[in-house]
Amino acid sequence: MIEAATAPPDRLDLLHQLFASATHDASVAMCRWTDGLITLSLDEVREIPLEEVSMELNLGDDLLTMVVLSLKGEIGGEMVLTFDEANGRHLAASLLHRAVGTSDEWTELEKSALTETGNILGCAYMNALTRLIQAELVPSPPYFIQDFGASVLQQALMAQALTCDRVLICRTGFHRQGEELNWRVIFVPTDAMRQAMEDAFHCTR
Amino acid sequence: MAGCTIVETAEQQSVGMGQILVARRPGRLTAVLGSCFGVSLFHPRLWLGSLAHVVLPESAGRSSTPGKFADTAIPHMITQLEELGANRSGLVARIAGGACMFGAGGPLQIGDANVEAVGRLLGQSGIRIVSRHVGGTKGRRITLDCATGNVLVQIAGCTSITI
Repeated sequence: MIEAATAPPDRLDLLHQLFASATHDASVAMCRWTDGLITLSLDEVREIPLEEVSMELNLGDDLLTMVVLSLKGEIGGEMVLTFDEANGRHLAASLLHRAVGTSDEWTELEKSALTETGNILGCAYMNALTRLIQAELVPSPPYFIQDFGASVLQQALMAQALTCDRVLICRTGFHRQGEELNWRVIFVPTDAMRQAMEDAFHCTR
Repeated sequence: MAGCTIVETAEQQSVGMGQILVARRPGRLTAVLGSCFGVSLFHPRLWLGSLAHVVLPESAGRSSTPGKFADTAIPHMITQLEELGANRSGLVARIAGGACMFGAGGPLQIGDANVEAVGRLLGQSGIRIVSRHVGGTKGRRITLDCATGNVLVQIAGCTSITI
């Protein structure tokens, strides 16, 4: 197991390389799904003390629209796709070729558009990670949720919080024709996933 | 036990995962909770309060910050407040949190275990729980106001309530 509290910068660099490869695959899938509009870039791979997570990720008070996927098993993790209200609505509308929704409640069709986006992104990440670590990864169905970002992230961090006081977070940003969007993918791998990724990298060197 | 910092200004202070903060009137302490648990202890005569953002129910021998686990957080809070002059018998508890955020199929559903552990530990410590807002499937933002001892509970899309 990696001791997260003492992980040196070169390990983070290594994990950054690995996640960059997976993000590239996800970006290709996203570009295809949105007719070339949206691309992804890996913003950061960081270790953060547990008590600082909400503040560091600026999630504390924001009400967000999110799609959550879990990777089942010891070699697993949680992936949370986050949008603010306006960006989530805009994405759903563009995917459905409709005007942006204005009612308080999201329609089932809008929710479906976002969960499908989460599914496509999640599968692209999972396929890339599967090729890398040579282990079968089983994602859960995507789960649509609207809540405080920090509340949702807490649940995603639980597996890491069991063993560490610092957590590893991989954060990805989205761009529409060069313009940064207020969407994020936050991936929280388990310790076993991190170890499997490191082992795979060393085997291929 | 090392002396703690006491929030004594009206400015709101955020309590992160695994943290414990202490405040005196007019201080306010806030935490955003999902499956985590907020434990507020308040001494009405001293206008002194403490808020813990508990992550997991049992430390099981693991060393960490005391606020991370219910079984280390509650004794630590009581000791801190006693060192500041509060009698245990005068403390009252308000508790909130412990949601199952992703429905029944989500990862590591710890909310119910946190509810049970916090209730049991406060009972064993002889501290009365005067109000609670626990469980469900939605996140909460809670704010302990040391000018009143009340805890404001905000849930996304719902009317705020005071407990």
